[in-house]
Amino acid sequence: MNPEPFLQLDRVIHEKGRLAIMSMLAASPELSFTELRDALAMTDGNLTTHIRALQETGYVSVAKSYQNNRPLTTCSLTAPGRKAFAEYINLLEQIVRQNKPR
Amino acid sequence: MVKLSELSLLPNTTLYCKVTGMDTNWAEENLQTIRTLMERSAIYRRALAPIMLFVGIVGVTAAAIGLLLPVGTLYGFLILWISAAVLALAGAFRIARRQALKDKEPFWSPPTRRVTQALVPPLAAGLCLGVLPAFFGPSEIAVAVALVWILFYGFALHAAGFFMRRGIKVFGWLFIASVCLLIYGAAAGWIDLENKAHWLMGLFFGVLHLAYGAYLYLTEKRKNAA
Repeated sequence: MNPEPFLQLDRVIHEKGRLAIMSMLAASPELSFTELRDALAMTDGNLTTHIRALQETGYVSVAKSYQNNRPLTTCSLTAPGRKAFAEYINLLEQIVRQNKPR
Repeated sequence: MVKLSELSLLPNTTLYCKVTGMDTNWAEENLQTIRTLMERSAIYRRALAPIMLFVGIVGVTAAAIGLLLPVGTLYGFLILWISAAVLALAGAFRIARRQALKDKEPFWSPPTRRVTQALVPPLAAGLCLGVLPAFFGPSEIAVAVALVWILFYGFALHAAGFFMRRGIKVFGWLFIASVCLLIYGAAAGWIDLENKAHWLMGLFFGVLHLAYGAYLYLTEKRKNAA
């Protein structure tokens, strides 16, 4: 088996929690912190840590605003984040293809 | 035991060996998980305020017609409210389609499809259970038909709420809980529901939709997408 595609996998995305966040954000223009937390059944602290890691790599942007006088934190994928996610998926597909018996 | 923070410091080859050693299907499973999460994430996000307001106006108008004409027979009740439902459905479809065209997005998107799939079974069941009494039941059961419709509409909203914003589920619960309370109230003799079919329909399909539509109009973000 060729290890090349695996070695190219983005280590930031290749973590269960962060991969889940990236997957959710890839299918939606933006999601609130609460929506992500509820959908992924994560704790506030866990989600904050993962989002911060994704934010630091420039994959996710976080916007803070107010809705009905309540603070609202929304997250969305940045262009580099979307590109990195697409590449990650491509690599996974490559790995699947090369694992398939011919 | 290796800590997660330490894991990122391990060389790529170590990670590779660990993962391939564990399970050769992990990539396929990861892709499946991603697909599931993406499907779950793509919720229906079109502005609901105009749809709710339109449905509310149709509901109030139908109730006014039913009470003022008045429409007293079960057949008349069914024809009036099924016509109102068809009108409300066609209007909601048109509004959603116009929003999609305006945003240059496909109308029949996966979230729209999922919302429709969730709505159809309870609505169809409610319609069947409401229409059947017209053939077999006396005209006094119009109230029971109204309660069945309100209840099943609540089920439909709750089911669709899994693919929409959280508020829709709460709105669905309001319908379901109200019907339960009304039935208990009527059984206990606290409320008299006799000849109140148009009032009930007007309240739930008219007033409540108008109120929710007004709330959404004031709170919904202007830019929405499905």
